[in-house]
Amino acid sequence: MYQIIITSVLIVFSPQTFAYLDPGTGSMILQGLIAGIAVAGFTIKTYWYRILSFFGKAKQTSLLEEEEEGSPKKEDEQ
Amino acid sequence: MTLDALPSSFRDPSGFVFAENDRVYRQINNGFAKHFDQFMSSGLYDVLVDKGYLVAHEDVTASNIQRGPDCYRVIAPEVIPYIAYPYEWSFSQLQDAAMLTLRIQTVALQHGYILKDASAYNVQFRHGKPVFIDTLSFEPYVEGVPWVAYRQFCQHFLAPLALMARVDVGLGKLLVTYIDGIPLSLASSLLPLTTRFNYSLQTHIHLHAKMQETYADAAGTPTTAKNSATKNPRQLSKTGLQAIVESLASAVKSQQWKPPQTEWGDYYDNTNYSDGSTDEKRRLVDDYLSAIDEPLNVVHDLGANTGEFSRIAARHAGLVVSQDIDPVAVERNYRRLVSEPPKNVLPLLQDLYAPSPAIGWGNEERDSFRQRGRCDAILALALVHHLAISNNTPLSRIAGLFAELAQWLVIEFVPKSDSQVARLLQTREDVFPHYNQQGFEEAFSAYFNIVRSEAVAGSERQLYLMRSLRSDLSG
Repeated sequence: MYQIIITSVLIVFSPQTFAYLDPGTGSMILQGLIAGIAVAGFTIKTYWYRILSFFGKAKQTSLLEEEEEGSPKKEDEQ
Repeated sequence: MTLDALPSSFRDPSGFVFAENDRVYRQINNGFAKHFDQFMSSGLYDVLVDKGYLVAHEDVTASNIQRGPDCYRVIAPEVIPYIAYPYEWSFSQLQDAAMLTLRIQTVALQHGYILKDASAYNVQFRHGKPVFIDTLSFEPYVEGVPWVAYRQFCQHFLAPLALMARVDVGLGKLLVTYIDGIPLSLASSLLPLTTRFNYSLQTHIHLHAKMQETYADAAGTPTTAKNSATKNPRQLSKTGLQAIVESLASAVKSQQWKPPQTEWGDYYDNTNYSDGSTDEKRRLVDDYLSAIDEPLNVVHDLGANTGEFSRIAARHAGLVVSQDIDPVAVERNYRRLVSEPPKNVLPLLQDLYAPSPAIGWGNEERDSFRQRGRCDAILALALVHHLAISNNTPLSRIAGLFAELAQWLVIEFVPKSDSQVARLLQTREDVFPHYNQQGFEEAFSAYFNIVRSEAVAGSERQLYLMRSLRSDLSG
């Protein structure tokens, strides 16, 4: 089944001068396959956090924004 | 090349790392000159260093440091006093290193750059936080091209995290066997069926493994998707790439491991020490370390548990490498490090019965514990009975190894009358006639001068400060 999907969505792989890793054809193609869902997911999440923020429950939109300095690590739950 | 590149840096043709006079340098080759200059002038380097994401470096090209042929620049990166490897990290250390890599990728993309590799070995721990050490990992981002290091990120970070969180935390040690990260097919077969219904793991691990299998031979056959893809470019937009990076961050963050109670997880609540004698032991350790009249740059605390005494040693040392066999103890040690000072402690997983081996090409890409173990002092508290009795290691061998590694030793002898030792002997025959204070002192005196020795008041244990008889150790 994957093959059918894959052959319909093909991704270019352009080797770059200093990209010394073998990226793996499957890995390159997969990124193209999942990008659409990833973009949709991130867009929905962004709007959701905007709504939360509107109601005063602000949260960071992206997990990749820096956490506050010295914020405590999640504690053991025992 | 006339000088020896360190065996850990042969993969990347952009340059290599070499050591001279105990300092590590990085040569940048002529072929990478343009990229390097652009990277340095793009502002990305400054932003990453400013955020504490990347080690700073000094350009020492003008100095008389030796260099290999094809040299464009020689840089001296900030010194990392102890190099540790991903299979020595606790769960949260690996998770934090993964998030750092993705944060760097995000900042790099904002500046028109992309990470050309995503190796966990590019991350070290400094002041209690992960930091990226490979200045040559950045190359200009070309719109449309997928992330070359996507597979490597999944193998080095996501696969071990998922296995540690969802199967067994001990599976982090698979990274010892697989130097380029855990093969996704292996991770996929080990993960429980339920992870098939988890979108992140289904795509980044299971489907990813399947795709690799499907296209395994794609490079060699002319009619493959890879080649037709080159002819029919369907490109990955920058937005798509950023969303994949976000999706990986979400996958990494959603791996959660709750440390259970283990043998040593509650050690400090369950020892032979009354509160008073623990205070006494703290005072003695502090006192012994103060008595050492030489600089302590690196101290190894072996059998450190959650790092209680590492934090006392941290008052006297540049860095305390706080090592324990128990993943729960190391995890707690790291969480404490993240939330409070001191920051000059490095919690690591280390099994002294079978310490980290030398791995990689020619067994020299990643050094063994013993190769990295040279330090100024060793702290071995409540440890010797485990080595001598649980592992049957003769006392003379313990003394010999410690003397090889360190000039100074703070060590605690735990007698058979101690209930912790009695517990170890409860289920086995006592084949240790020389395991007593006299036998201990004799064995260690062959390698060390006993400088101080005091009983820990309120317990039956004895604490020693020893100095190695070897004069050729400079630490």
